[in-house]
Amino acid sequence: MASEALATAPVDEVNTQLVEEAYEMLDGPVGPKPRSKWEDWKTNFRRRGWILLFILPAFIYVLIFCYVPMYGILVAFQDYMPGDKIIGSETTWVGWQNFNTFFSNPNFWDYFLNTFLLCIFGFIVGFPLPIIVALLLNSVRSKKAKKGLQILYYAPHFISLVVLVGMLKLIFGSDGLLDQLSIKMGGDVNGLKLFLSPEAFRPLFIFSGNWQDFGWSAIVYLAALSGVDPALHEAAKVDGASRFRRIFSVDLPAILPTIVMLMILSVGNLMSCGYEKVLLMQTSGNLETSEILSTYVYTFGLVGGQYGVGTAAGLFNSVINVALLIIANFTSKKLTNNSMW
Amino acid sequence: MKKIIIGVSAAVLWLVCVILFVVSAMGGTTSEHQFTVLTVKEDAVKDYNTMPVFQALAEETGIEVKWIYNTSTQYANNTDPVGIKGIDAIYHSGFSNLKLYDYGRRGRIVAIDQYLDSMPNFSRILKSRPDIAEALKSPDGHIYSLPRVEEMGLKAYPNILYLNKKWVNKLIADNNLPDGVTLTSEQLIDGLDISRNQFKALLQKFNDLDMDGDGSTSNEVPLAFVSGNWQGNESDLIASFGVPENREHKTVLNGKITFTIENEKWFEAVKELADWYQRGLIRSSSFTQSDNDFLARGQDGRYGAFYWWEKDTVLAQENRDDYIIVLPLKDDDGNRYVGVSNEQEVEKGACVILDSCEDKEGLLSYFDKFFEPEYSAQLNYGSIKSGAFLPDKVNGKLIPNDDHGVQSADDFRMKNAPYGVVYLTQEVWDNSVEMESRAKLRLENLEQYVKPYSFVGVTSIPNLNYTQEELITLNTYESSLANNIASWFTGSITGGSIPTRESWQNFLETNRNSIDMVIRINQIAYDRYMAAIQ
Repeated sequence: MASEALATAPVDEVNTQLVEEAYEMLDGPVGPKPRSKWEDWKTNFRRRGWILLFILPAFIYVLIFCYVPMYGILVAFQDYMPGDKIIGSETTWVGWQNFNTFFSNPNFWDYFLNTFLLCIFGFIVGFPLPIIVALLLNSVRSKKAKKGLQILYYAPHFISLVVLVGMLKLIFGSDGLLDQLSIKMGGDVNGLKLFLSPEAFRPLFIFSGNWQDFGWSAIVYLAALSGVDPALHEAAKVDGASRFRRIFSVDLPAILPTIVMLMILSVGNLMSCGYEKVLLMQTSGNLETSEILSTYVYTFGLVGGQYGVGTAAGLFNSVINVALLIIANFTSKKLTNNSMW
Repeated sequence: MKKIIIGVSAAVLWLVCVILFVVSAMGGTTSEHQFTVLTVKEDAVKDYNTMPVFQALAEETGIEVKWIYNTSTQYANNTDPVGIKGIDAIYHSGFSNLKLYDYGRRGRIVAIDQYLDSMPNFSRILKSRPDIAEALKSPDGHIYSLPRVEEMGLKAYPNILYLNKKWVNKLIADNNLPDGVTLTSEQLIDGLDISRNQFKALLQKFNDLDMDGDGSTSNEVPLAFVSGNWQGNESDLIASFGVPENREHKTVLNGKITFTIENEKWFEAVKELADWYQRGLIRSSSFTQSDNDFLARGQDGRYGAFYWWEKDTVLAQENRDDYIIVLPLKDDDGNRYVGVSNEQEVEKGACVILDSCEDKEGLLSYFDKFFEPEYSAQLNYGSIKSGAFLPDKVNGKLIPNDDHGVQSADDFRMKNAPYGVVYLTQEVWDNSVEMESRAKLRLENLEQYVKPYSFVGVTSIPNLNYTQEELITLNTYESSLANNIASWFTGSITGGSIPTRESWQNFLETNRNSIDMVIRINQIAYDRYMAAIQ
């Protein structure tokens, strides 16, 4: 009560603040009256509200680029082509017809399974790799060696996809380096024909992808590791912990929240591997494993002009992703007490 | 003083800018009879606005067309080209059946059949050629695009088998011909008569020996093709087993739409090809390469044999004489077969008129001129004034000019010919335009070495018209079926073992529903087409 009276009184601003802080100290059991949360928030906002301005750009960005375009999913329920109004008097609503077309595709389950397997294997290989690399890099004693290795590891990240697939074809493709070697060494005249075999598609895709990105993804973990208090390490040393022991007892627990957060995020993206690289690597020989939902959306929806069906397939994919995200978040909350919300 | 100079020059600069702006803005206003047409062309092709053929058209019709461009990449990235502001038509629209119909029924492109009064040439074509009229229709019966018709009788047979005569001669000279093959150097001329087994034995020698004499036995490619490509594919090798194969595995046999993959002989062919593959006679590159890869690899004469449209594009000048045409391969009973492709000589989507065009009659009457033989010829090969044809006609016919100096015929045509809407049929070749010599040569080769061996009762599937419902069903089944066929076919040949009957039957069983559905819809549409053109 007294603080409110003071706040409205025409006193010098600095004074107000000082007095308020004094009252705040008095708050609690000895204070005149416990303040409500809302009042707390109000005071806080008045005093430090301008800080919120910093998140404004991010907020606007997310609003414009993530939320506003969402009305586009309505296309999944329409007979649509570019140039049509998404909401207008001439819009043709077709209900679930696009979903029917998509689900009644005789290959639907194959595409679904291909997507799932490609992504889950990618996740199993690709998720722990940067963590291991970050922990190892962090244990390198020489600063110079650490910097050098780090640059070496993340440099491939900057190779564009088309160039990467070109490199893959030169090395693993028909008449490529590996084929030539195997022929020279007396192997099959046709070489290993890795780009033609459905079995080789997933390993090629996943390992080339991880080769390209493990160094880059390790940066986040390295940043988290740099925040570990050196005193902890010293204490562990005093207790006689080996270097290896310290990784498990000091470093790993320190970056665990980061790991969990990134894991939840990647589980939420589990069903969305980009179609560009898959398309570039596709041949008639590996279609059996390389035709996935997103390439189907591309070829059928965008190239084939079936925008409604393409959007329906995309929406289906997103729904699965959201479901996975919720499950991952829930599990992690139960098990590790870390969660996104 | 300095300040004055700076001030004055700034003012002058400003004035120049203003003038330029005003002038450019004025240039944007159009006179009554000027149209803007978007066309898709690569940078290497000359500016349409300066091409003599379009100048001649403008002079004759009094209609001025301003051409603006998209490269094919730009155009492909535009999801809604019809929505581009300020254009009246799209040339080389490339719209599929479905797109034409989708735009058409929304009224965003013009139903051209409603303006036939201003199109004397086009209406005459539609009357005299019911098959073309039928092929151009959308599910609602309207015609939404101007066609490209180039009938030379070439596209139905996109493969000719060529054999490396130099290598065979080497085998003869070294007394190294395989058992069962008796050939003399004199026999090595176009139209070589040889059975599939003899051919296989020759390829085996090509694979095992160092044919090009560079010390390595691994860089020779015994037989090359581009699997599933529209030209130079493996279809005729499979057809030699007695099944009317084409790249879509789909053909018309005695009036019935048929899938070749269900034919026992097709399975025999796949088994044999798998054997060829294991022996190294066919390489995995034939299943992964693009046609550009194929052409680049063939230039220096490393192919023992290959399938292609014609040999000149595959081989460098100095190697062209080393290759001869082989007749379709004889089977064990001494019969020869070639399949018929489904590539059509009537194409939809060559040009569409947008609804926003203010004078549709005017613009269509302009495009109608494109169907006249003299304009068609110039649009297809290059203007008379630019040297695509000789300046003087012979017996009333335009004669193509084969001499372009240092430029190759391909280069000249690529730069000078806009292609697109043309009407070139047998009647035109007979009366108004002489065929270019390369086309004539290919036609002669086909007449002599390929066409006589076509299957009896087999025709290609024409441009069919589907109802909207049929289109939706086809869309569901056709693309995934095509994927599955390609996948099983390539997998069986390159899988490292000979495919079993069981695997083939399983494959057919899994796709039974799709196969039946695609056949049923195509048959209905085909019967409708046949009824309409009679």
